[in-house]
Amino acid sequence: MTAAANSGAKMTATPITRVLGVSALAATALMAVLGLVVSPPDVIQGEAVRMLYIHVPSIWIAYGGFALTSISSILFLRRSRRRPDQGRHYDRLAGSAAEVGVVFTAITLITGMLWGKVTWGTYWQWDARLTTTVLLFVTYLGYLALRRLPAEPTVRSRRAAVMALISFINVPIVHYSVDWWRTLHQKASLSVGRRPEITGEMYWTLLYSMLAVTILATWLIIHRYRVIRLEELRDEEGLEALIASRLNKAVGSH
Amino acid sequence: MDLTPLHEVEAPNEMRRRVHRRRRWSVLVIAAVLIFAMAFITAQGLRNATLFFRNVDEAVEQRSELGERRFRIQGRVIPSSVKSESGLTTFEIVHNCVVASVLHSSDPPELFSSPWIPVVLEGHWVDGEVETVAGIDTHYFSSDRMLVKHTNEYASANEKRITDEPPEGFLDQCSFEVPAAAS
Amino acid sequence: MSEVATVVAGWGITFVLLATYSMWVVLRGKNIGQELGIGEIQDSDPGKDAGATTDS
Repeated sequence: MTAAANSGAKMTATPITRVLGVSALAATALMAVLGLVVSPPDVIQGEAVRMLYIHVPSIWIAYGGFALTSISSILFLRRSRRRPDQGRHYDRLAGSAAEVGVVFTAITLITGMLWGKVTWGTYWQWDARLTTTVLLFVTYLGYLALRRLPAEPTVRSRRAAVMALISFINVPIVHYSVDWWRTLHQKASLSVGRRPEITGEMYWTLLYSMLAVTILATWLIIHRYRVIRLEELRDEEGLEALIASRLNKAVGSH
Repeated sequence: MDLTPLHEVEAPNEMRRRVHRRRRWSVLVIAAVLIFAMAFITAQGLRNATLFFRNVDEAVEQRSELGERRFRIQGRVIPSSVKSESGLTTFEIVHNCVVASVLHSSDPPELFSSPWIPVVLEGHWVDGEVETVAGIDTHYFSSDRMLVKHTNEYASANEKRITDEPPEGFLDQCSFEVPAAAS
Repeated sequence: MSEVATVVAGWGITFVLLATYSMWVVLRGKNIGQELGIGEIQDSDPGKDAGATTDS
């Protein structure tokens, strides 16, 4: 999945991100081998348990991405006036992490629905965990839409930063929904301060999958950040060129 | 693109407006769709999420006030109680040492066959007789939808075998004993 | 859907989605970079202004 990073697409690549891209590719390949071949089937769920190794790491990346968006948004709101780039760096980081978070939330929802069909017997139920997760997805889609709303860059970034902080309120609600309410969804598979109820090989495969997906997500966030920078440059250059051509026309017609 | 000459001073602002205007409508449509989606999800969530199911002990205690109202009930299936006949499945579920008889009328999910699996059933109480493995019960839960509520415990099939033993500690406080399943 | 079919579908969709998104990000960067006449980015630290350098 990261082959494109190494196939001559050089615009957002650097030696470090190339190494990271190759690492991500190798790590996800090994993740597939461990998750699909090496790890054993579950005593009750059978082969369906293999969904665990993409479902749990995906929501972990989504949480992490949205946390990064929030931290960047706070830094933008607090420091943008003091920075020579008016905080655009923080804004780009927030945007790229949110987009990657949305992609992984979508993966969480899709894999969860498929897994639910074979275990629960249904693709979807409006229980607290599923409802808050789909709300998280839609909220951050809204955040990404807000970022595209035409406005002065600083104003747009400020609006987006505020929305990012409001949207993040839902992240702990999603995580603890299985403890706070009665849900069809099981309790968290991994939780701080709670002994994991997963046996050896399955536990290590899950931890490894989280590491592999984290490498991939880091690579994606760095590249997306750079693409946002390029988009900004293009918009600035395009606007300047358009203004210049119109001014020339206006001057020429007089 | 409109190439009508503009006044030199007005040009930049007018350009910006034109560039922005094109995107504004599409973004507004997307925003409207997203707001609608969020409202729909919240409404669905509020209706269902707060009390997704009642445990067997609560549902039995509230039987008279629930009447024929449809709700979800949750409990673990007693493996020795399961009996299937002409598309109907009868079994017993238990939670907090309270047992309820169930008459289920649709195909159960595959994992239903796992002993002591927790299930969420959709249906209603019926005042009437049902023949279970344990005998005749005068109340039963009539269900037409079953969801298996699997736990967050995972164990290798290579290391652990499925047994009919109840989960550790699950029936410790109960005064009754569950008969072993006929194999 | 059987357990195996579900696993194949879940992993398959995930990999296709991630591959598509990765390709989109890389190609978008490449296309915009070409539009702008910007070459390979020299700065490896995303904390800095990554797109600001050019080799053209």
